[in-house]
Amino acid sequence: MLTKFETKSNRVKGLSFHSKRPWILASLHSGVIQLWDYRMGTLIDRFDEHDGPVRGVHFHQSQPLFVSGGDDYKIKVWNYKLHRCLFTLLGHLDYIRTVQFHHENPWIVSASDDQTIRIWNWQSRTCISVLTGHNHYVMCALFHPKEDLVVSASLDQTVRVWDIGSLKKKTVSPADDILRLSQMNADFFGGVDAVVKYVLEGHDRGVNWASFHPTLPLIVSGADDRQVKIWRMNDAKAWEVDTLRGHMNNVSCVLFHSRQDIIVSNSEDKSIRVWDATKRTGLQTFRREHDRFWILGCHPEMNLLAAGHDSGMIVFKLERERPAFSVSGDSLYFVKDRFLRFYEYSSQKDTQILPIRRPGSNSLNQGPRTLSYSPTENAILICSDVDGGSYELYIIPKESITRGDTVQDAKRGVGGSAVFVARNRFAVLEKSTNQVLVKNLKNEIVKKSALPVAADAIFYAGNLLCRAEDRVYIFDLQQRLVLGDLQASFVRYVVWSSDMESVALLSKHSIIIADKKLVHRCTLHETIRVKSGSWDDNGVFIYTTLTHIKYCLPNGDSGIIKTLDTPVYITKIFGNTIFCLDRDGKNRPIAIDSTEYIFKLSLLKKRYDHVMSMIRNSELCGQAMISYLQQKGFPEVALHFVKDERTRFNLALESGNIQIAVASAKEIDEKDHWYRLGVEALRQGNSGIVEYAYQRTKNFERLSFLYLITGNLDKLSKMMKIAEVKNDVMGQFHNALYLGDVQERIKILVNAGHLPLAYATAKTHGLNDVVEDLAEKLQGNIPNLPSRSSSLLIPPTPVLCGGDWPLLRVMKGIFEGGLDNVGKGGNEEYEDAGDADWGEDLDIVDGENIQNGDISMALDDEGAPEEENEEGGWDLEDLELPA
Amino acid sequence: MAMAPDMLFNLRNNFYLGAYQAAINNSDVPNLSEDDAIERDCLVYRSYIALGSYQLVINEVDSSAATPLQAVKLLALYLFSPDNKVNTIRHDKEHLVKQESTISSIREWLGDAAIGNNPILRLIAGTIFMHEQDYHEALKYTNDGRTMELYALNVHIFLKMNRSDCAEKQLRVMQQIDEDHTLTQLATAWVNLAVGGSKVQEAYLIFQDFSEKYQMTSLILNGKAVCCMHMGNFDEAESFLLEALNKDAKDQETLANLVVCCLHLGKHSARFLSQLKLSDPEHMLVKQGLSAEESFDRAIQTVG
Repeated sequence: MLTKFETKSNRVKGLSFHSKRPWILASLHSGVIQLWDYRMGTLIDRFDEHDGPVRGVHFHQSQPLFVSGGDDYKIKVWNYKLHRCLFTLLGHLDYIRTVQFHHENPWIVSASDDQTIRIWNWQSRTCISVLTGHNHYVMCALFHPKEDLVVSASLDQTVRVWDIGSLKKKTVSPADDILRLSQMNADFFGGVDAVVKYVLEGHDRGVNWASFHPTLPLIVSGADDRQVKIWRMNDAKAWEVDTLRGHMNNVSCVLFHSRQDIIVSNSEDKSIRVWDATKRTGLQTFRREHDRFWILGCHPEMNLLAAGHDSGMIVFKLERERPAFSVSGDSLYFVKDRFLRFYEYSSQKDTQILPIRRPGSNSLNQGPRTLSYSPTENAILICSDVDGGSYELYIIPKESITRGDTVQDAKRGVGGSAVFVARNRFAVLEKSTNQVLVKNLKNEIVKKSALPVAADAIFYAGNLLCRAEDRVYIFDLQQRLVLGDLQASFVRYVVWSSDMESVALLSKHSIIIADKKLVHRCTLHETIRVKSGSWDDNGVFIYTTLTHIKYCLPNGDSGIIKTLDTPVYITKIFGNTIFCLDRDGKNRPIAIDSTEYIFKLSLLKKRYDHVMSMIRNSELCGQAMISYLQQKGFPEVALHFVKDERTRFNLALESGNIQIAVASAKEIDEKDHWYRLGVEALRQGNSGIVEYAYQRTKNFERLSFLYLITGNLDKLSKMMKIAEVKNDVMGQFHNALYLGDVQERIKILVNAGHLPLAYATAKTHGLNDVVEDLAEKLQGNIPNLPSRSSSLLIPPTPVLCGGDWPLLRVMKGIFEGGLDNVGKGGNEEYEDAGDADWGEDLDIVDGENIQNGDISMALDDEGAPEEENEEGGWDLEDLELPA
Repeated sequence: MAMAPDMLFNLRNNFYLGAYQAAINNSDVPNLSEDDAIERDCLVYRSYIALGSYQLVINEVDSSAATPLQAVKLLALYLFSPDNKVNTIRHDKEHLVKQESTISSIREWLGDAAIGNNPILRLIAGTIFMHEQDYHEALKYTNDGRTMELYALNVHIFLKMNRSDCAEKQLRVMQQIDEDHTLTQLATAWVNLAVGGSKVQEAYLIFQDFSEKYQMTSLILNGKAVCCMHMGNFDEAESFLLEALNKDAKDQETLANLVVCCLHLGKHSARFLSQLKLSDPEHMLVKQGLSAEESFDRAIQTVG
């Protein structure tokens, strides 16, 4: 048994698989109905409205509905999308055992302890028929999957088959049945529109379950007499065919497998038994320690079963579905049913090569597990679990491929696993002695070699890759040396790149990528099962999980390429086409969009020319890609995907792309952004942009200082005037100081009433006439100045004036120039910025900050106009001055 | 079955397959037992001999070294001629005298009960007598076999004597010991080539296996080329040979095979032949060519 999912809960009495989604409903003895996603292993929803145990539950095949029936005599129809019960069907007078939707009519069949079976129309929400006849509890009632039949099982020890054909007639429009004879007849004979067709007697105790074969006229039933009986029917009669004995206690449920020729039954003896439906022999028994089994569920389309027991349920598979295959150049060898087949990728031709031995039907899961191929000798090794692990060696005949049915007399042997290690040599693992036997094509032992660490499987690796408990190692058979060794929990599949330089080790939930010496490169973890994988020509590992096709780059970055409806096994990759085998052994080419991973790979490998052309030519976008690029240190690349201005601004700053930052800042026009732009521009030495940024935020102090350090005296004096206009004495003074304009400083100090300071300034600078003036004004309060001669604070004359400093070389790196024309036209605007010609943009003075009178006065006093015609400057005229 | 790791496997393998420099480069194997260390040294010195560095071997092996090493030194002495085969009579004589003395000392050693049975000594003796083209004498010492190398040498000698039946017998012994041994495989390929016919394909597969598994050497390439020529694929053979020529432009076997191959392809082979004459005037092909020319001249003279 291959357990796929397990839950722990109250006793599970009812189960139903969804036909499309990976969902299963479990109704519990506690009254709760659980909806599980068995693939992800999560509880999606729970429905808790029944009072007492819920014994029956069933999904509708196409509508978002399910039905449940419980010990509260209620049948409830639910909509799982709306998460609620739509309505309740009342009528049964005792516990309800099972409920089931009809596959095409809007019907529900229910079985109850009130000894009746009822058929309901869930659209009109009425009971359309009551099937009476059983004289004890009816334990189960099910529709036939195709015909107008119902089978029921009862504790009255009978199984009954009911004909509901007339019920169907009743539902067709009355106009079709002009005489309404059937109706009249039915009414006349007491409203019977479903009649007992056969009563199957044979069980010695109450019958718990009966179900139809999906295609054949067969019924299987299980009863408290611990027996499973198979019944056959034709148009006229039904009869017992055989009895399957083996259960040690009441058989609670039994059914035909939908895809294999087997019967599955479970019982209160805590076991599930699998029987061969043709040979009618027991194949296998699965026991649980403490839990009695109550119910079985079979997936309508997939090879999945579920069983409910005392403390939960299990979802399981009886047989592996992965076809054994081996890729060699342009060809794929694989096993389907009992034939070895050959598929040619280039022509997509699928040919049957030779029949192989049918797996022994005395037990399950004995099919081929792995396949190894030697191209030169055209030999195939097939390993299976038969006899606890064995192999068969077939030589593919050179002459035309045999169509016949005669199985070649293969060479056989027992061994944990077997793989070709050379053209005409294969290695067989002998687990008991922990030896590897090297054999030739005659199946003769050529060499024996003991393994240094106990191994339970071997894989091909040029040499030999051995799997030990918690590790894998490469063993060289000739040197008898371990060449490499890697910690890896239970590796299931090993996939080598075509150059044998890289290997992917696939475990249940993880993938480890290593090199040929098993040096670890990266590990990926998946929450759901990893199924298969293959290397593409670029060194990207493409793999499938149950639900997705994904990629893994050499650095361990991974992502999704495509979602999958059904699991597939990748065999080979050619460019944008992935070749897979599905569970039916069909080869399918799947076209994929490799843009994303090729793009990331190009980035990783620094193939920037590729990156560029991909940015230009393909539709790459999305938040994920942006954050990936940022995270990987390529903000400049991300810049070209972004539309949002704020993100653009941030990315532009991060990548130092000042042009785009300016353009974005203009769009955003917020103080903080201007400030950050200024900081970055300053870092790069782009004083034009710094000036612009400061101007936009009216950061006068910084602006003055910028002019000082760039030696732009003209603008500095303008700043002084602006400060004057703004009545900003301190600013005025600073600017005067920066300009080295002593007269102005004295004037400012005088205007501000700091006569002693003005005096001191004048005195130190030796402006004697001014000194005298001031001395007069001070009227004797002349400050005592130190007589020590001092050097005067005069700013040096700028060597060069204005313009940018040598710009910091911003690492546009790879994309130098190349990408700029892709981005917005930030360029031209930047050219303007260089000239600092911001005239119209500037409104330096806010009305609020300035007192009316002062400005006009100040302006009048100054006679500013003389400077207006200066080229390139910003004009005071443009100041928005209040009238 | 010996289960201890075989530390010298790669070294031996490289030597057998003609990757002499690789053998020398990778000879630094740690933790060797004394016997293994001697074997290692033998392999390294034999690789040097194969590369023509006789003087190095003669200088490095001193009189205190173990018997096998002394034997290897003898081989170096035998092959060594100071002026690299300048064809003056004086040197030839001197050389011959030297060779005579090496042969006499090897006979002496072989007669010594204490060391006479040393397999390496016997191997070297066999090799030297093969150079002397005294196959019976060579077989005297190698016939016992006991090591894979001796068996392989036997196969070689038998093939030289055109006794492929004996070679096959000897090969079967090797196959029983270890069918997958590199020497067994090589010997199988030789025998297959000698036998010819459908066996050539198998020989080709053996060389193919070698080329897939191990470093490509001119020995392997020549092997493949000869198989191809046997099968009539001269174009393919030529490409292998040119590849081999790229690896070693002076390799006599490559040149000789190229001459043959070019003749079959109808291409110009004179340059390869003159190259061969320069690098190995003693080569069989050259000698045969010369004697054929002589006979031709004589024939003309008789006619004239």
